[in-house]
Amino acid sequence: MRPVAVIGAGKTRFGALADRDLRSLAVEAGEKCLKNGHLSPSQIEAFWLGNFAGPSFVGQNHLAPYVSTALGLEGIPATRVEAACASSGSAFFHAVSAVAAGLYEVVLVAGVEKMTSQPTARVTEILASAGDCSGEIKAGSTFPSLFAMIARRHMFQFGTTREQLAAVAVKNHANGFLNPNAHMRKLITIEQALNARPVAEPLGLYDCSLISDGAAAVAITSLERARDFTDKPVRVLGIAQASDYVALDQKPDITTFPAVRKAAEKAYKMAGLDAKEIQFAELHDCFTIAEIIAMEDLGFVPRGQGGPYTAAGHTALHGELPINTSGGLKSKGHPVGATGVAQICDLVEQIRCEAGERQVKRHSLGLAQNLGGSGATCVVSILGSV
Amino acid sequence: MTGTVYTETVVHLAPEAFAAEVPYQVAIVTLENGSRVTARIQGERVAIDDRVQEVEVREGVPFFRKSA
Repeated sequence: MRPVAVIGAGKTRFGALADRDLRSLAVEAGEKCLKNGHLSPSQIEAFWLGNFAGPSFVGQNHLAPYVSTALGLEGIPATRVEAACASSGSAFFHAVSAVAAGLYEVVLVAGVEKMTSQPTARVTEILASAGDCSGEIKAGSTFPSLFAMIARRHMFQFGTTREQLAAVAVKNHANGFLNPNAHMRKLITIEQALNARPVAEPLGLYDCSLISDGAAAVAITSLERARDFTDKPVRVLGIAQASDYVALDQKPDITTFPAVRKAAEKAYKMAGLDAKEIQFAELHDCFTIAEIIAMEDLGFVPRGQGGPYTAAGHTALHGELPINTSGGLKSKGHPVGATGVAQICDLVEQIRCEAGERQVKRHSLGLAQNLGGSGATCVVSILGSV
Repeated sequence: MTGTVYTETVVHLAPEAFAAEVPYQVAIVTLENGSRVTARIQGERVAIDDRVQEVEVREGVPFFRKSA
């Protein structure tokens, strides 16, 4: 397998973008990415699109050629990838695999979701379809309630507190406040998070990520050719995807995600790195508890220590291990199908030293973790400077 | 059928199909044979490790209640 690099990245603003449709968002991100990578559409040999629920949110299927043709990509393979909230992380994994295998030289990967045209109750219903509809969902589980049950168990086993969950939200809002493309640029306090209205106990409104519209795209090629396109290529050092049960009640221990552990182990091995060497990370904080468990499953901290480590400020923008400098899903926003590729764009921005006010000091080695459902899919990507 | 509460939550924001019932409690119950099931809780709220018993199955969904 030959080494692969990201040569272009582009994103739309995330938010409730009433005047924008799914295709225009994906096209904007794709065009920004092509421009960033000094690419013309005719140079792209294959296209992958991560999208969770376009058919349910906007009534459109057959999304990959629907977007690719609008981008001027003519006749090439165009494939939609669906893996719940890990849809575009998975699309990125498959695109990297194809380039690494030598099947293509230059490919484009995008992710998009248009969520806000539906009322919240309907969005909740569509998101729930990423769970097991024959059991847990029929019983009245929602996505917040699945992660609420995970939080309850984590609190019971490790003593994690609501204040520690709130510390994740406060930190990610502080980072998102500095991100001009973030959905909710608003500083919050621990007290506001603790006193917010309950969604699924013990999770309140500020423990939950946002319902957003948005898109992101990256272009990749072989490391050997990367400098033909850009003087700032970013190398994909390690990448892996893993899977697990869809239903939460089938997992032996819901305070850890085996798919995250497996993907991380493979990605670290491919990169020849240890968890302790990672300098900053974009983690899948769909709910505050998810960031805490991700830190533990990725080996950043021992099990049960994610809460105290966050509350101590170590994952803040200028802490020892900055996490979600973009604002995360919590503040940057979570257009489900766009999230995985957006995380890659966020790593690229830091590695290229283009993060402005949010720039971290140690920025040559970053990790992205994209989680689907309540842990049934996970993609871990490790990127570094060339 | 009886079991023990493995984890639980009280749902406040639900899809339309359940909106009339909020707030309601959902739990994952560990049954005697070690398998787990996602169930609805009737009556008194339950907490982790509480003993519960099944009271009915409605459209495939098991409903449990705190054991006396």
